[in-house]
Amino acid sequence: MKGAAGRLIPLFALVCALACTCASTAMATDGSNAERVQRGKYLATAGDCVACHTAPGGKPFAGGLPLPTPIGDIIATNITPSKTAGIGNYTERQFSDALRRGIRADGRHLYPAMPYTAYAQITDADMQALYAYFMHGVAPVDSKPAPTRLPFPFNLRWSMAAWNMLFLDSKPFTPDPGKSAAWNRGAYLVRGLAHCSTCHTPRNLLMAEQPSRELAGGDVGTWHAPNITPDADSGIGNWSEAELVAYIKLGHATGRAQAAGPMAEAVDNSLQYLTAADLQAIATYLKTIPAQHDPADTRAVDDWGSASDELDSLRGVALPVDPDKMTGAQLYDAYCASCHQARGQGSFDGGLPPLFHNTATGRTNTNNLVMVILDGIRWTDRSGVHMPGFANHLDDRQIATLAAYLIRHYGNPAAKVSVEQVRQLRAGGAPSHLVALVRWAMAIVLLVILAIVILSVRRMRRRSSGQA
Amino acid sequence: MSGQLSADIVVIGSGIVGSLAARRLALRGASVLILEAGPRLDRGRVVAAFRNSPFKGSWMAPYPPSPWAPHPIYVPRDNGYLKQAGPYPYPAEYIRAVGGTTWHWAAQAWRLVPNDVRIKSLYGVGVDWPLSYEELDPWYQEAEELIGVAGADDTGSPRKQPFPMEPVAEPWSMRRFRERLAPAYPVVANTVARNSRSYGGRPACVGNNSCQPICPVNAQYTGETAVAAAEASGVRLVPNAVVYRIEHDAKGRIAAVHYFDPDKGSHRVTGKTFILAANGIESPKLLLLSASDKYPNGLANSSGMVGRNLMDHPSTSLTFYADEELWLGRGPQSPSSINTLRDGAFRSRHAPYRLDFTNISQVLNVTNDLIKEGVYGAEFEKQLRWRAARQVNVKNVLEVLPDPDNRITLSSEKDAMGIPKPEAHYSIGEYTRRGADVSRADFARIAELMGGTGLRYSADGQFANNQHITGTMSMGNAPSSSVVDAFGRTHDHENLFICSTGVMPTAATMNSTLTAIALALRTAGHILPQQTTTQTDLADDRREARLS
Amino acid sequence: MAMNEHEDVVANRDAPVDASRRRILAGLLTAYTASLVPWALALPAPQADRGAFTALSAILVGQQVLDAAQTARLYDALVADDARFPADVQALLAFVNQRQVDPLQLQNVLDAEHSPLASLPRKIATAWYLGVVGSGETARCVAYETALDAVAVADVLKPPTYAYGSYGSWANKPV
Repeated sequence: MKGAAGRLIPLFALVCALACTCASTAMATDGSNAERVQRGKYLATAGDCVACHTAPGGKPFAGGLPLPTPIGDIIATNITPSKTAGIGNYTERQFSDALRRGIRADGRHLYPAMPYTAYAQITDADMQALYAYFMHGVAPVDSKPAPTRLPFPFNLRWSMAAWNMLFLDSKPFTPDPGKSAAWNRGAYLVRGLAHCSTCHTPRNLLMAEQPSRELAGGDVGTWHAPNITPDADSGIGNWSEAELVAYIKLGHATGRAQAAGPMAEAVDNSLQYLTAADLQAIATYLKTIPAQHDPADTRAVDDWGSASDELDSLRGVALPVDPDKMTGAQLYDAYCASCHQARGQGSFDGGLPPLFHNTATGRTNTNNLVMVILDGIRWTDRSGVHMPGFANHLDDRQIATLAAYLIRHYGNPAAKVSVEQVRQLRAGGAPSHLVALVRWAMAIVLLVILAIVILSVRRMRRRSSGQA
Repeated sequence: MSGQLSADIVVIGSGIVGSLAARRLALRGASVLILEAGPRLDRGRVVAAFRNSPFKGSWMAPYPPSPWAPHPIYVPRDNGYLKQAGPYPYPAEYIRAVGGTTWHWAAQAWRLVPNDVRIKSLYGVGVDWPLSYEELDPWYQEAEELIGVAGADDTGSPRKQPFPMEPVAEPWSMRRFRERLAPAYPVVANTVARNSRSYGGRPACVGNNSCQPICPVNAQYTGETAVAAAEASGVRLVPNAVVYRIEHDAKGRIAAVHYFDPDKGSHRVTGKTFILAANGIESPKLLLLSASDKYPNGLANSSGMVGRNLMDHPSTSLTFYADEELWLGRGPQSPSSINTLRDGAFRSRHAPYRLDFTNISQVLNVTNDLIKEGVYGAEFEKQLRWRAARQVNVKNVLEVLPDPDNRITLSSEKDAMGIPKPEAHYSIGEYTRRGADVSRADFARIAELMGGTGLRYSADGQFANNQHITGTMSMGNAPSSSVVDAFGRTHDHENLFICSTGVMPTAATMNSTLTAIALALRTAGHILPQQTTTQTDLADDRREARLS
Repeated sequence: MAMNEHEDVVANRDAPVDASRRRILAGLLTAYTASLVPWALALPAPQADRGAFTALSAILVGQQVLDAAQTARLYDALVADDARFPADVQALLAFVNQRQVDPLQLQNVLDAEHSPLASLPRKIATAWYLGVVGSGETARCVAYETALDAVAVADVLKPPTYAYGSYGSWANKPV
């Protein structure tokens, strides 16, 4: 920031901060403020702020977590009330702008990795509660994480202004009077704080969500966030509301699906703490959005496979010395059957789930199957959910062979897993061409503009020379 | 191929004890090299090998010996590696592979009770240790937090800080024992290196009931995890390296070790400090093998005690049918025991013991019995279900006193690499036999309280081996009667240390692994005392283990 | 618990049995053994040897559903271990027929008479119940999860190395 404005604005901010501090000190004596902070805490949990704004092993909300995107890593900021490294100087208005319009206190734009397009739905009252929580309910941490540095042209934050004009709907949520209170609450949570569409809605070339395909499925790095519309085959159409609630709260719907990867984190950090009413509201809403059908799904993704084994090929047969020559059945026996049982039927209590009638094996998009074999599933709390990852035990060929066995017995036979796919997923995903694409596009546009200018200049010269 | 390998610290043996000592030293900045005689193993392949084994009752079946690093196996027949000179057999089982024998243990991770280290002063038997329980206490705590120990309070071993984890969930069968034996016998949850929640990046137990020979899900801590932790701290490990000689210089300092690769190519490895951690049989064997002109009786053996005072925890047992369905086999193999008989004035007269209840599925035993009895037809399944539901077993875990005539020596027979095989000379003394006799009354009472029928005592004079190889390189203050000092340093060689259950001068009644780990961490701490802020990296270290 | 979805011997009861098979079996089974194995005459018996093994197995392990594929695998393994096996099986079946020995008495009778067939019932029982064929260095495990000792208790226990269930699920009383 340069010039007089550069001097005034920090001063102005300081005065505001002082005013706010005085105001909040005054408010601290007000009993209802404690209530507001508590409500803000619940809302922050629902919004899962901690998932992005906390680095592994780091202090809560102190930032530093790099979010991988096709255009580079975006580093989450410190949103503790630290005055030197966080948002301690933010007014409520500045907080609201960051949260709901994607604009920082210094006026610069946030990248939509911060899901402000979803948080734009948050009501004023809820925003105020969140502000109260972040100012008074969170411990300040005075360490500033590394700044985000994206490649040209994505480092030009002002370009987000144009993007926002195209894609940001900045009106907070207004209830639909024709719908029930539960539906409205569910719509508010799903579209707003829980920001489900950030992962579950496919995006266009400019990386904006496609509103006509709400929750039809998207990709989050190496993980696929599946279709959660009420389509009977591709989505959750044949799930009961109780099953949806169970999945969101516990991270699994018995006999259908288990949350893994980023969804497991979302349940672990956020969704499991929602009230029963809120969980029910989300389920109610999800059952009403337009169903999106993928023609590749000829039956429900959780309806494939059956209990089966190839034990006859295993018993009495020595393992090959070369691990890459192990058959799918041998790999399953050695690494999977101990928990999932010899016929894929899972444990007595279903706590170690069966592998058939399971979305983990039934989808035609097989990325999640490979990812869960590589990474396992582990919650941070004491729920006991813990599938080990096999990235250090199985190589790419073994995982491809094993996945083929799992699909053949327990999944959709049309689905495929290739060794190259495993290799790429293990490495963090296929490299994105978006940066190159945009640069080429810009170069072409510049060339076109240049060509137009040159041609116009020549034409003007010819006219003027013609008139001489 | 011999490129000259060298490190500040050379560790022989990659079992749980050697690996955790190596790790601690690497974290303090030393360059550390582990030489392991056997190969790397893969957990999934061991599981598959067990399922394909025709000898499910033999826990060594999924661990076939390597030709260059044989270990003893007895099923289907004795492979003749560990020679038995008698009068009583010492059929030890151990694994020469990366990670060592704790690939297949029941993860019992007990501390001693304070009196265990003073039985000479207190009871006039055995010897006193050259250190106190209080000195061991912080090392026990560090070991427990490193490997993740789940335990119940009040089992006779005082502690200053809580266990890292709650006791493992009690199986129904054990609950019934606890309820029905009270108040005569308090049954408590075993102190185990088994996860009762996610710990150290490994899942909680899910009841595979195959702890021995293999935990398929890595819920119990093993040498494999210790090796991984060591390598993550910068320790370098060379597998398939059979050390056959320890070389000393003219002053008696250890200069190098020599090892064979599987093709019998010889390699020399130099270092500044050497740690011998190759279990209580292979370590004394190596010391004896390294005899030279200057040390004709072997290294570290001016006392003549290397290999002597061989001890274990022998067991006798009672099998019977309880009068209710208990169905052993649900949950981990060794969940509960009675700990009130480990200490007391009686120790001047007879051996103390622990009483251990097994939760190993009885289906295999019962099926073998029925086949032997010739029960054919529809009756087979009926009997199988009835017996498997009710058959239970209680065994004692008896203390053995150190006796110099019980020892490991070098056999005249050689293995495939031309290295002399170890030979066991062993007998069970009267002190222990008297303890076994006394315990019969406990067995009978326990059976009575459980409405027992079909009582089958183990044969008189027959003791089962429990693989707790102790005493062969005993620690003590006097070089004339011990091999190492209180810090595990050999009296004879300033830069040679021993980390092993073999340094324990008495056996007590508890499985020896945790004590050996605690001693090894103390030894590592002595080799490289912390120079910087003492508690910080240690606390970070243990916090990391707890959090992941 | 899940039953084997393999082809079951009993399920072929309704399949037409040709006359030659019937004659072979009738030769092997008298009224006595047939009474022990009521569905005996409906057994598919491609060969007399396999038929005899099937019938004898059914007698020794009680009246169970004998999986056809398992029967064939065990038979092949037992023959590979000992070429005299088929003849021994026929001899023992004939013995049971003639002497009308109850399965529970069979071993006693064989032992008392020092019969050369004394080890045969144990071999067959070991194959079916433990999934093990052969002994000593040549022993092989050809079945574990499908061995009858595991199947007999499968409602209560998983075979060792297979997880019982999520942490703590073993604390409850077994049903």
